[in-house]
Amino acid sequence: MSKRDRPRVCRLAGPSLIPTTMDFDFSPLIDSWRFLASGLGQTLLLSVAAVVCSFVLGLAVGLGRLYGPFWLRIPLVFYIDSMRAIPVFVVLVWIYFSVPILTGHSFAPFWAALVGITIHVAAYVAEVIRAGIVSIRKGQVQAGLALGMSRPQIIRDILLPQAIVRMLPAFGSIISVTIKDTAIAAVIAVPELMRQAETLAGETYRPIEIFSAVMIVYFVIIFPVTRLIDRFYSRVAHLGRS
Amino acid sequence: MTAFTRKNADKPPVLVYEDVRKKYGGFTALDGVSLHVNAGEVVCLIGPSGSGKSTLLRCTNALETIDSGTVRFEGKPLPKADADIRKVRQRMGMVFQSFELFPHKTALENVAIGLTTVRKLPAQAAEERARALLAKVGLADKTANYPANLSGGQQQRVAIARALAMEPHVMLFDEPTSALDPETVGEVLNVMRDLAQEGMTMIVVTHEMSFARRVANWVVVFERGRLLEEGPPQQIFEAPTVERTRDFLSHLGWDD
Amino acid sequence: MNLDWSIVWQSRGLLLEGALVTILLTALTMAIAVPGGIVLALMRGSRFKPVALFATGFVELFRNLPLLLLVYWAFYVMPVLTDLSLSPFTTGLTALCLNVSAYNSETFRSGINSIRKGQTEAGLAIGMSRAQVFRQIILPQAWRRVLPILASTWVSLFKDTSLVSVIAVGELAHTAMQIRSQSFRVLEMLTAMGAIYWLMGYPQAKLTDWIHRKYGARE
Repeated sequence: MSKRDRPRVCRLAGPSLIPTTMDFDFSPLIDSWRFLASGLGQTLLLSVAAVVCSFVLGLAVGLGRLYGPFWLRIPLVFYIDSMRAIPVFVVLVWIYFSVPILTGHSFAPFWAALVGITIHVAAYVAEVIRAGIVSIRKGQVQAGLALGMSRPQIIRDILLPQAIVRMLPAFGSIISVTIKDTAIAAVIAVPELMRQAETLAGETYRPIEIFSAVMIVYFVIIFPVTRLIDRFYSRVAHLGRS
Repeated sequence: MTAFTRKNADKPPVLVYEDVRKKYGGFTALDGVSLHVNAGEVVCLIGPSGSGKSTLLRCTNALETIDSGTVRFEGKPLPKADADIRKVRQRMGMVFQSFELFPHKTALENVAIGLTTVRKLPAQAAEERARALLAKVGLADKTANYPANLSGGQQQRVAIARALAMEPHVMLFDEPTSALDPETVGEVLNVMRDLAQEGMTMIVVTHEMSFARRVANWVVVFERGRLLEEGPPQQIFEAPTVERTRDFLSHLGWDD
Repeated sequence: MNLDWSIVWQSRGLLLEGALVTILLTALTMAIAVPGGIVLALMRGSRFKPVALFATGFVELFRNLPLLLLVYWAFYVMPVLTDLSLSPFTTGLTALCLNVSAYNSETFRSGINSIRKGQTEAGLAIGMSRAQVFRQIILPQAWRRVLPILASTWVSLFKDTSLVSVIAVGELAHTAMQIRSQSFRVLEMLTAMGAIYWLMGYPQAKLTDWIHRKYGARE
């Protein structure tokens, strides 16, 4: 166990790690399952936090872009389009390494990852929300106005409930993308599943066994998320049809 | 019943159905249908929707497979192998309720596509034939139009020309006017009537009773996957022998 | 904080080279993953069950994994499986192709499924073979629906190529990170890296929007 306490250095894969024969040894997985499990915990925590934060920020940005004043819409559009252009890897690395230089305060890797992923994913959430709302027929707004509802009431009680149902498949894919993106936090040494796997692979010289096992773990988390949301959507789809 | 001799009764029939059965899960679409179609005949299949007439048509060119029974075309049972089925389909033209023109091709290309891809005709020859066929259905001036720029009636006439391009021995019409605006139904029926007068063998699934009465040589009434009654149009429309035929026709306003 | 932006200008040759590798990687991956996606989509629709099952498994697996993990996995597993020592570029390309082919297969599958069954029947009814119907009738129509999604996938792929930097493929991200660690000009190099990605990615994102407006969401 003392091995785990050693400072982890960023290890770039080298050819020396490549086994030459096809003999497998899964004992490192059994010996170090706690180490990997702690990584899984971090992955799940980071995923949930990032999904929640991006949805809150994304909703604000999406509504601001649709209904905000002119001076607000331009920077929001710029922000959204920029995030569509820059890799999340670049955003993460920039926040982790550059923000401390600019502010003089250093960042725990976990927080840097959370902020970076949130900033990136929120832009996609904002786009989905905007597109969902725009897709609701004009007649629905007019029907609300005819009943004497206010604009915020119409957005909250008529547009969003219908739009959210329509957005569900897109949200499902955003959630699975977010979980996948958390693996990128490994490059800034957040001790999540990907990073732990990398470390363990480097220490035990058993990369194939470890990466294959971790692959299964990721698949088992991500696949049901996509499926569940699709299933849920097909059950409630009629609520979004106006 | 007065004696009635069917057209070309002395020659072998073009199509023979023997005890054809077809199920979709628990639903029986065809429940033992036996029927034949002679050369040059226009046979109209009528009956309530879901009674199996469209299914029978789609089994004729093997778009659907039958569970049991036989369909004989020009004396031979429908083949099983894909390549052989394709040869049979070239001898049967089919016209669909929803036209099914290819939206990415012009009217001319729609008519020519079978000639170039299936018959391997040179493009020039295929185009000439296609042009002539479009003229025949009254669309000589619409050759360059895409389906989206044609009315329903025009699209269906292009579809008829597309089927005729393969020089079929029999034409299958699956409710060809059901998806049309009332004002364009006539132009399609006229093309079909002309075709009948040229002696084309035709099977027509239709709800157009006036067409069935005036153009058909033989009318077949379907109900729940079975033949209710068959006979010449005079018999079916004026003196049906089966009570339920009368019921069906009176629902459509044909109670004279 | 003293900044020295001259490092960016001094490294322009290397950065340009990295950017070119990024573009090459994107283009090559797409060139392989579009036919790959079509083949997988056809396999999924196959009436021969083992083929359909294999394709479904392939697609679901590579769609539901973090790309970074796939890159590492390819790096370690490919040499063992193929008994070849592959360059990082080839390894990275393989990982990207596995991922994007899986995505494209879903794109093509939904595009193909969106074409009415009657279109296939109309083709069959004039005696066309299934292959002819697919090539001449289905694919040209599905293409319009598929193109906007492929454009979005292209932009995602362009961004995702940055992840192969972890196995030392000399594309833009790896090049910039290398210069950063050699020059200690961290803020300058990372900002430059972001700016170059932005300069390349922004027009692509806008072009994608245009393609969506032109072809997308029309019934």
